[in-house]
Amino acid sequence: MTDTATTRGEAESTHDLLVPSHGPMPNLFRLQSELPKVVQAEEQLIRTIFLQDGSLSRTVKRGLLSTVARVRKNNYCWVLHSRGSTQQNDCSPDMQSIAVKLSSSGCSFSTHDLTPLRAAGFEDEALLDAVLTVALAQLLCTLAEALNPKLDFEPSTALNPLPLPEQELDVSTSAGPYIAAPPRRSFDFAPYAILRDNLGFVPNLFHAQGLRPDAIEAEVHAFEQIIVSDEYLSRTQKEGILLVFAAANANTYCVALQNQVLAALGTAENDIRQIANDFRHAGLSESDLALFEETQRLSWPMPGYEFSAERLRNAGFSSAQVLEACATAALGNFFATLQFGLGCVPDFTPERVFTAKDLYRLATLVRPISDVSTTDDPDSELVCQAQSGNKDAFEALMRRHNRRIFGTLAGILGDLDDARDATQEAFLKAFEHIGRFERRSKFSTWLTSIAVNTATEALRRRKPTESLDEIETEEDFRPRQVQQWASDPESILSATQRNSLVREAVLRLPYKYRIAVLLRDISQISTEDAAATLGLTIPALKARVLRGRLMLRESLAVHFTRLEKPDA
Amino acid sequence: MLSCAEFLAEFGDYLEHAAEPGLRARLEEHLHECKTCCVIVDSTRKTVQIVTDSDCFNLPDVLGESIVTEIMGRVRQKS
Repeated sequence: MTDTATTRGEAESTHDLLVPSHGPMPNLFRLQSELPKVVQAEEQLIRTIFLQDGSLSRTVKRGLLSTVARVRKNNYCWVLHSRGSTQQNDCSPDMQSIAVKLSSSGCSFSTHDLTPLRAAGFEDEALLDAVLTVALAQLLCTLAEALNPKLDFEPSTALNPLPLPEQELDVSTSAGPYIAAPPRRSFDFAPYAILRDNLGFVPNLFHAQGLRPDAIEAEVHAFEQIIVSDEYLSRTQKEGILLVFAAANANTYCVALQNQVLAALGTAENDIRQIANDFRHAGLSESDLALFEETQRLSWPMPGYEFSAERLRNAGFSSAQVLEACATAALGNFFATLQFGLGCVPDFTPERVFTAKDLYRLATLVRPISDVSTTDDPDSELVCQAQSGNKDAFEALMRRHNRRIFGTLAGILGDLDDARDATQEAFLKAFEHIGRFERRSKFSTWLTSIAVNTATEALRRRKPTESLDEIETEEDFRPRQVQQWASDPESILSATQRNSLVREAVLRLPYKYRIAVLLRDISQISTEDAAATLGLTIPALKARVLRGRLMLRESLAVHFTRLEKPDA
Repeated sequence: MLSCAEFLAEFGDYLEHAAEPGLRARLEEHLHECKTCCVIVDSTRKTVQIVTDSDCFNLPDVLGESIVTEIMGRVRQKS
């Protein structure tokens, strides 16, 4: 979609509101003028969260908005928010950290991330203001990524992208809510009545914002205008988009909420579960599949994986329906960010709880796991050709990597037939998604991530009740075999015997150490690439490799210890 | 001087000859005094050597070619 869309029906009130804030009516809203109620709902969110003076100054809030634009590399929003400011950032480093983490890896956000701001004297009202502003920034960036508007102004300074935080992928388990909220009586608060009418209850997400009833009101108004209305897309389609979005964001709370809402709307439980797990295999109509696939792309901006309004129009959706889908996705990012920042307790027992393993899988599909730009990838040229549709180039890549991938998979799965099947599955996934590979890592790292995730899923299918996330701690392990080894241990046994011993010892390793050792010592990929593959920090990867090697040493020692006594 | 537990937690980079000079000096100071940790370093190095030299998870040539053929058959159908 471009900014050549019609401007009929432009809402005067939006113009009046946005002119003092951003100058002339921003193109982002002109492009949505076919849906004046949606624009008006977005306007109310902006007015309530950004324009209204609260515990944070507008300058700080502008800094938060700019920070999110820099994290998402969103030039439109960067130019919109940075107008009149000469700095890349108008908020403190601690405040900026909140925006970076919430917008890039919200699922790992915890109450500890708010500690520096509390220590600096920020009260709960200010923290809520900050979370709301970051959520608003996510909404605006999502809209800009969907609608691709022309810049409203000449940029005063070029966007200086912020790197994603270096951290081990994980899902926060800290207990929320993180911000105290005064209880609000629901019977005399109109927004709660609207929620009860449309959902049957008031989600904790709104209770957690009790300090800002005006924000609750604006959010419920947006929910009513964008989601509840059946004018263009059906409500079930929009709630489905929110479910897909919640799953793409690894947001356990929002998935549980959407499960409940869709069930109340009459969607079968199995269908809901399948949409949350993998909507591509949920038996959806072609048009709904296109709707979910395209809107899911808006959860995080990935070059080469952009939202396509044209595909939705080709699938039979009207321009108003496409706009509504974009607004729904933007609201999905808003609510997911808000929930991550507030740490709301699920309203229902979640059927699916996201873990770090899900993040590895999502990392290959909908969001990057690191921000490392690789310029010296030996596969670069073949990848370019494969991305252009050259299947011979893809075959060349496969021949280059299939031995290493097979070895890794055989080491994880322990069975050659399973490894063969998983190798095929991994390469087919790689072929399917190569257009989305954006070279933030080497191709081999990306490919290995897909392979590891494929094998992990296969293991879970094989042993669904067995946890792959060992709880063993670093203190549990002490070397017991401390006798000197033979000077040339490899000469003691035949190659066949050694292979058999090594194979058995590797397969006995706990899962997380096994994968680390397989990548470093069997596949012999670098520490940096292995860490990127597993979404670990380099120190974390090194610790797992060392532990795995020490465990292997224990297993093999009995076969390679020299018989004579060690020298004194 | 480092304790054995501290040594065992830190000697990963030393194993790969990648420890920074300061850390290497502290680790070697410990090794000079501790025969048990000397044995562990030596046997862990040999373990890594044995594991990297093994071809226990290698893809047999025949199987490799058939995998490529099968995958490319399915890839070419996807056009």
